[in-house]
Amino acid sequence: MADIEIEIDGNVVKAKAGEMLIAVTDREGISVPRFCYHKKLSIAANCRMCLVDVEGAPKPQPACSTPINEGMKVHTQNEKAKASQKAVMEFLLINHPLDCPICDQGGECELQDVAMSYGSDVSRFTEGKRIVANSDIGALIHTDMTRCIHCTRCVRFGSEIGGIMEMGGTGRGEDLKIEPFLKEGITSELSGNMIDVCPVGALTSKPFRYELRTWQMHSVANIARHDLVGSNIFTQTYKGKVKRIVARDNDSVNETWISDRDRFSYEGLAHENRLLKPQIKMDGQWKEVEWDKALEFAVRGLVDNALNTGGGNKLGALTSNTATLEEFHLLQKMLREVGSENIDYRLNVKDLDNVINLESTIKLVELEKVDHSLIIGANLRLEQPMINHRLRKAALAGASIDVINAMSFDFNYRTNSENIVSPGQTVAILAEVLKSILERSCAEIPKYLGKVKIGDVAKCIADELLESNNSVIILGEHAINNPQAASIAKLISEIAQQTGSTTLNVSATSNSMAAEMVNFVPGQGGLNANAMLAADLGAYILLDVYPQYDFHNSVQAIKSLDNKNTFVVSMNSFRDKEVARYSDVMLPIASFYETSGSHINIEGVMQSFAAAVSAPSESKSAWKVLKVLADLLELSGFHYANSEQITGEISNQSHKQKIDNKEINITAKRGVSVIWQKSPYAIDVLSRHATALQATKIGQMHNALMNKATAKKEGIKEGGQYLGVPVIITEKVANNCIFVHANQSTGDKS
Amino acid sequence: MISNKAKKQIDTWIQKYPKGRQSSAVMEALKIVQAENENSLSAEAIAEVADYLDMSSIAAAEVATFYENYNHKPVGKHTIRICHNISCMLNGADDLVFYLEKKLGVKTGQVTKNGLLNVKKVECLGACVGAPMFQIGDTYYENLTEKKIDDIVDKLK
Repeated sequence: MADIEIEIDGNVVKAKAGEMLIAVTDREGISVPRFCYHKKLSIAANCRMCLVDVEGAPKPQPACSTPINEGMKVHTQNEKAKASQKAVMEFLLINHPLDCPICDQGGECELQDVAMSYGSDVSRFTEGKRIVANSDIGALIHTDMTRCIHCTRCVRFGSEIGGIMEMGGTGRGEDLKIEPFLKEGITSELSGNMIDVCPVGALTSKPFRYELRTWQMHSVANIARHDLVGSNIFTQTYKGKVKRIVARDNDSVNETWISDRDRFSYEGLAHENRLLKPQIKMDGQWKEVEWDKALEFAVRGLVDNALNTGGGNKLGALTSNTATLEEFHLLQKMLREVGSENIDYRLNVKDLDNVINLESTIKLVELEKVDHSLIIGANLRLEQPMINHRLRKAALAGASIDVINAMSFDFNYRTNSENIVSPGQTVAILAEVLKSILERSCAEIPKYLGKVKIGDVAKCIADELLESNNSVIILGEHAINNPQAASIAKLISEIAQQTGSTTLNVSATSNSMAAEMVNFVPGQGGLNANAMLAADLGAYILLDVYPQYDFHNSVQAIKSLDNKNTFVVSMNSFRDKEVARYSDVMLPIASFYETSGSHINIEGVMQSFAAAVSAPSESKSAWKVLKVLADLLELSGFHYANSEQITGEISNQSHKQKIDNKEINITAKRGVSVIWQKSPYAIDVLSRHATALQATKIGQMHNALMNKATAKKEGIKEGGQYLGVPVIITEKVANNCIFVHANQSTGDKS
Repeated sequence: MISNKAKKQIDTWIQKYPKGRQSSAVMEALKIVQAENENSLSAEAIAEVADYLDMSSIAAAEVATFYENYNHKPVGKHTIRICHNISCMLNGADDLVFYLEKKLGVKTGQVTKNGLLNVKKVECLGACVGAPMFQIGDTYYENLTEKKIDDIVDKLK
């Protein structure tokens, strides 16, 4: 890439013509102070801090907006450069309060650092400083706008990365203020990044306010497990507690951003609801006991109720999808050792004979290079913020985005077409698209498409797919309980194959890729989650399962588990009323960031992490508990000294590629369908206990949305309740569809 | 709040910009809407303009608060736009503002009881040669003194 040579501080440096000077100095490790420049944001050149002396230029030039030229001679440290930097610093400090001792940014403040190197030791300014009122912008970010130096990074972040311009500079000159419009506050799902980009203490983390100084904490590189990306983070800890999470750069995963869910969920770790001591149920009463007693009790229960009476077949294992790769592996290994294939993690799927089987064939970085995308059944922005961010980059670069959804969502980019169809119609429209594609490529039309009539919408989508060179079809979570989920997935693979498109399956989130990798699904003769609950098993091992949130039909699940002949060993990180009702043993386990393990992201990339803190009180890492349980069950091959040894033993055992020969069913289903979606901030137990996240607008999505016609048909009135949540009538929802945002499951309605 | 007539006027301005750049018409749109609403812009009006031009409310508010010709509070029949920028300030603009406030019995930003007048401090109007100065309607009044102000202001109806 080295095209030209320039001279910086007397050293010859190779660089690419047209690069900005600051990019070259950054790469070469030459320090140039700056506030408004950020490598991922547009250039504003408004702070003037990066002034350097360029030979031949009459005035000092801002390094951030000066493109380099062959033979350019730059001085970053000479008299002229230093004098200008010092002068700018003095201006910036005129209105900045000297409140570092009570400022949360102190110790990690760019202004503080730069003032140390470039500022004067005595202020010449004796006039009054300006004071700016703070705005309350929500539960996540605290503002101290008097400290603002108007770099506009937060404004640019909003309009360029977040996709909604929420902060802006109002007024002018001395009256310029950075603030949101009226009292609207900040609603972006990526808003926490504004805290990271703010170079001063104007925007700081609200949950972390007045907690600690940055140098008191220990930073541990870690992985966030709330979505399919596995964003790279630093967990910052103090005396064994996670105190804050900040983003860690990784251009192939999350660049420099993380979602608010990844940033603020840690708050849940300190929640009073943590399960801290092993407990056993004796004569209907819970009793706290030592670990060895509890494990002994658990093993005796498993043996008596399942292994000795009916063999392995009587034992089942269910997990939530947030477990680590190692936990999934150990649990399935244990079950298979005792001869049980009753293993499952897909608790929220209504019909496990009708599941989505679709490979993801695109890398995250490639996602921003697509020229077309077809999104089906996803509110991508809230459900997979970082994936949406990549796609948004593609959209801004000109990619056209087609959407087939049951409801109109706020996209933060322009869509080419947004087709709102009821879940029952999704399969029909995809069949039309496929037929249109086959017709135009003069391919043979399979029998099942024979009678399909191609509508205009399908024709347009087919056109886009055929015309694009690099298209991706994204299938989202709303399709999992579609009556034709399997057919939808098959049609998508077929369409992708015919058009050379890639596919992205975001229908199951968190660490579900890890579960698939170790084949945490029933094998030959095994029962799936729903079949287990219907089969009256003798014993269960449940790993971090919270029935009312995790199961598709929680009422039935609880009823089935709460059977006096069923012995339930629950391993949980949080206490839960329902878990206590049906369990016989509750074993406290470590939550996020308290255990080592691995996350598999949508690309299949394994990212391993260490524990940032130790598990509280008597709780233990789940892999250790599983290992000891296996030992007590006298199974061999469970001697591990650390979780890396488990990781080493794992190979890709996914059986996803197994062919199933069921035919594609393309008949549109009539009648009203219900789609149940948890709030994006309630998808796992840790986020549900993070107070600040729950206080945000996204955290408070509790409503049942439907259009007028559907409401009338179902006899529902605006202001009423549907499945326990308030009804909102809106024409944004497709006809014959009820979109339920409720954290607790809606039973068999969906 | 935006009348159909105003929308039509805004549309002619939108036509002047390339497709998809309708937000470029924001300054004219704000002006049109302000003229319809007794010469001042409420936050709701700004939000509606933003909505009509498919831009974020705060981006429209940035424009509306940057320029002095948009008002955010009720105004009188006549607005005395007095310059307080460098040249005028050095020539005693601040004293004249104080004098005006005393004379009219209102602070800058407030409207006289009869609804006739309000005083607004503005940035340089490009008439430094005749500093201190103010503008009423389309007329510039230069080389102001207290007496001259009395003559001008007392004649306003």
